[in-house]
Formats: sequence, structure tokens, C-alpha cells
Amino acid sequence: MLRSVSKTSYLALAGLMLSFSSNALAEADPKIWPVIKEAFFADRKIEEADFIQLTAPKRAESGAQVPFSIALDQDKGHAKAVKKIYVIVDANPIQLAATYNLTEELGKFNLSTRIRLETDSFVRAVGETADGKLYMAAIPIRAAGGCGGIIDADETEVRASAGKIKMNVESPVSFGKTTPATFIIKHPMRTGLQRDLVSQGFLPAFFINKATFTYNDKPVFDVDLNVGTSEDPYLKFDFVPKEPGILKVKATDNEGKSFTHEIDVKS
Amino acid sequence: MLQIVVAVLGLLIFTTQLQAQPLNLEKVADGIYVHHGLHEDLAEGYHGDICNIGFVIGSKGIAVVDSGGTFKVGQRFREAIREVSDLPILYVINTHVHPDHIYGNAAFLEDKPQFVGHHKLAAAMDSRKDAYSRMHLEWMGEDFAGSEMVKPTLAVTDTATLDLGDRQLKLQAHPTAHTSTDLTVIDSKTSTLWSGDLLFVERTPSIDGDLKGWIAVTENLGKLSVNQTVPGHGPVVTNLKAALDNQQRYLSVLLSDIRTSISKGEMMESAMNTAAASEKDKWVLFEIVNRRNVNNTYPGLEWE
Repeated sequence: MLRSVSKTSYLALAGLMLSFSSNALAEADPKIWPVIKEAFFADRKIEEADFIQLTAPKRAESGAQVPFSIALDQDKGHAKAVKKIYVIVDANPIQLAATYNLTEELGKFNLSTRIRLETDSFVRAVGETADGKLYMAAIPIRAAGGCGGIIDADETEVRASAGKIKMNVESPVSFGKTTPATFIIKHPMRTGLQRDLVSQGFLPAFFINKATFTYNDKPVFDVDLNVGTSEDPYLKFDFVPKEPGILKVKATDNEGKSFTHEIDVKS
Repeated sequence: MLQIVVAVLGLLIFTTQLQAQPLNLEKVADGIYVHHGLHEDLAEGYHGDICNIGFVIGSKGIAVVDSGGTFKVGQRFREAIREVSDLPILYVINTHVHPDHIYGNAAFLEDKPQFVGHHKLAAAMDSRKDAYSRMHLEWMGEDFAGSEMVKPTLAVTDTATLDLGDRQLKLQAHPTAHTSTDLTVIDSKTSTLWSGDLLFVERTPSIDGDLKGWIAVTENLGKLSVNQTVPGHGPVVTNLKAALDNQQRYLSVLLSDIRTSISKGEMMESAMNTAAASEKDKWVLFEIVNRRNVNNTYPGLEWE
């Protein structure tokens, strides 16, 4: 199970980050991870795993929308046993970007999303098996400025459109075969670290915290989102529909509102 | 005696160091001067001098149009102005919020000018200042010392006129295009347009506002009839229409390629490699800026 970051670890982490920020040319720093590892997975063994495959730009063009993909190579190692994947961005103020809960309906796990990077960082996917074993892959990404600042949008418009969903299943569908689905939900994913220009304080966190997908009412994919996932959260994932049916999603935000959408999957 | 000579020499060297090295200038028209920065990216190795900054001299005083990317560059710019004219600096106009255009403002505080900008500029400066200063410190360290956001004291909502005595500057605030804070300036005496970054020449246009909005504003600027235009980046142009057409071709193909990619159900990552590829050889810094443009624009266009 995942524990929240303890106060001591947070302080240690803050100190560590301060000392890094003075570097003339910062780069993804491997020294942050041991502190985070202790905070999230204290005293647990994590094995490096090449069956977890990560794809991202070496240098992100925009820290606000960094494309990031995770695939599990089913033929290798313990890929089939992985039931949960944590995405962790070491150098972000809030490190856990998302947790993906897998089901067999997904087939070979293959997911693309977009994440925020505040600065150069290692990005990790930690896979957890049903019996609590941990496997990890990590890649460094250079990026800047994805978590703070830069809100030019109009608040009323932002509130009015929050929760709008677009979903698509690639057609034609061959039932029983791998089928890509795309889900986007309109939402500012406020980090709590962005400035409120009126009060000069910070805008409160406001984000989608969950998206649950079912196919013919059977669980397919369950995602816990956090503010490390980009504005207008984007998920493209493979699943295996065995017969025609309805792909449904229910998303909720941290203020308790929920949003649903469904599509009819035909051949 | 020798000690005195050494002391005087020392003092000379000391005072020369205090005096900032003036930036080089191009005289564009009667009373109009421009300093052209280098086409560097805003990343490691950035020196704070990449765009066009300049000034207009009227009979009553001077208006500065953009101030450079650091306090130090602003100081060198001010030295260059002082080599041309001793008239008071009445206005410092910022064409938009980007750091290469505004961080020299602080060098002009001693002149007590009116700082002039788009009505959305002050808020945009506020929301960006933390991220900007963090990135600049990382890129430039000490060279960024003294740079600060100096907000407008005169905000332009639609249009405004600044009087320099024998000439007037007509200011126009634009809807969101290159950024949400774009402002253009026209000098009545020489019919010179300062487009700010609403027009890029040579350097790949970079989008931080609204691609469709910029296409509309580019179209509108084409209706102007002026003798010459100082773009935000690149050489001064006399054929405004040709320069705008160039930019419009890039912006339009970028928009249409992204829309095609979205309608085919492709991913943003692949569009970052392919969108607007036909424009590759026509612009400086294309690889870097075009990919960034796709990354900034694609997620918004998915909602069309």
C-alpha cells in the first residue's frame, strides 16, 4: 500500500530540492529518488524491470503537456503479475502523477498520457503485483515550468466547461483483439501552486481525481489521477472488447462532482 | 608620481567597467533606431538579447519600444540611446509579456517614464514571474541580476496615442494571437509599424496564445499601409504584405496539419514530428520552435 509522504521526508525533500535549484545547469537528479522511495515505499525492495517500457521526449517542448507512454512487455519477467502502476515525477512538488489499476480486460498494457514537469526530472513507473512485489523503470526528462504560474484563462469559462468528455474507440473493431480507446476530459487540473491574480494568494487545487472505465458494466481500467497529470487529462489505452457493447467512463473531481460518458462499440 | 598615474589608470579602468557597453543600433528612419538581437532559443546558452528593441525620438522626448531580455541588456540599450540623444525618455512600451522583450524595463526606472502595455499585460506578468525568474536564473545565473518585472503604468484597452511632440505613436491592443498581450505601435511621421511578435521574419513564429487568433490578426495587419515594419525578430521589412504572407503560410499549414492529425486519431507525439514539415527549410530554429508550437497547440485543438 502507498503511504503518504511523512512530514520528515517532506522536509528532507524540500532541503534537497533547494540545494539543487542553485545548480547553474540542472539536470534530472538521481539523488531525489532515495528520499521519495522511503516516503512512498518504505523498507520495500524495488526491482529494476526491463519489461516496463517508458517512452517520452528527452527534452520536453512544454513542461505543461509532456507526452508519456507506458507499456508492459507481457512475454518478459513478471509483467502479467502487475496489477497497479504508480507514475512518479521525482522533482515535482507533488510527485505522484497517477495510479493505474489494471484488469485482464486491458490485454497487453499499453497507455499514453500527458504529464506535467516542473523542472528536469526522472519519471518512474513502479509496477506492483497482487502479492506486493515492486518493479520499476525510470527515464530522465528535461523540462520546465509545468506546475506553477501561467493561468491566462477566464475562470467562468473554465468552470463552465470542466468535466466535458470526449471518448473514442478506434474502428473498425475486431472483437477479441487489441483495441485502442482515447479519453480526454476538459479540466484545468489546478495544482494548488498557481497564483490567484485577484487575492495574490494561490488558487485552490481543483482536479479530476478518478476515472473508472467499464465495458458492459465489467471493470476495465481504474485510474487515480493527481495534479501531475496535465490539464485536460488525456488517456489512450488498449483494451480487448470480446463482443459489441458499451464502454462507459465515470470521472470525479476533488470537489465531489462526477461526469459520465459512454460509447456504443460496434464492429 | 607613478602611484598617481597608476591610481588614475585604475580609476579609468574602473569607470569604464561601470559604463555598460552600448548595444549596436540600426537607424531605420528619421529618429527611429533598432537593435537586432541574435536568433537564439530561450534555453541554456540564452544571453537575453534575441529580439528587436528600439526607440523613437520626438521633439519632446523618446519612446522606447521593448527593453531587452535582462536588466544588463536594458542598461546597454540605454547607453546606446544616450549616445544618440539626451532627450528625456518619456515612455517604455512593451509589445507583449515575453521575457526577451520586457526584462530590460528596470534599466529605465531612473528615467521615470510611463510604462505602456496591453491591458492584460500586468496580470500576465504576475502569473508568469515566478516561472520566468526561476528559468532565467538557471540559464543565466549572475547575468540575470537586477532583472525584474516592471508593470505598465498606462494600460491600453483598445487604442491609444502617445505624443512625442513632432510625432505621434498610435498604439493598438490586439485580441489573443501570439500571446494574450500583443500591442502594435505605428509612428505617424515615418509610417513605421512596430509589430512586436505579431510578425516574425526569418525566425520560426512561436505560439503562446491562440493559433487561430493569430491567423486572424495576421490577416488584419495586412490591411495596414506603412512604409516599413520592425518585426519582433528579424530584419526590418519594407514589403509588409510579403512578410505577413510568409508567416500566414506557416501558421495555416500548421493548423491544417494538426487538424488532419486529430481527425485521423493520430497522437500528438507523431504530429510533433510531421506537422508543418513543408516549412522546415524556410525558418531559423524550426526544429525546436515548431515542435513546441505543436505541443502547445494540439491539446486545445482536440476540442474543436
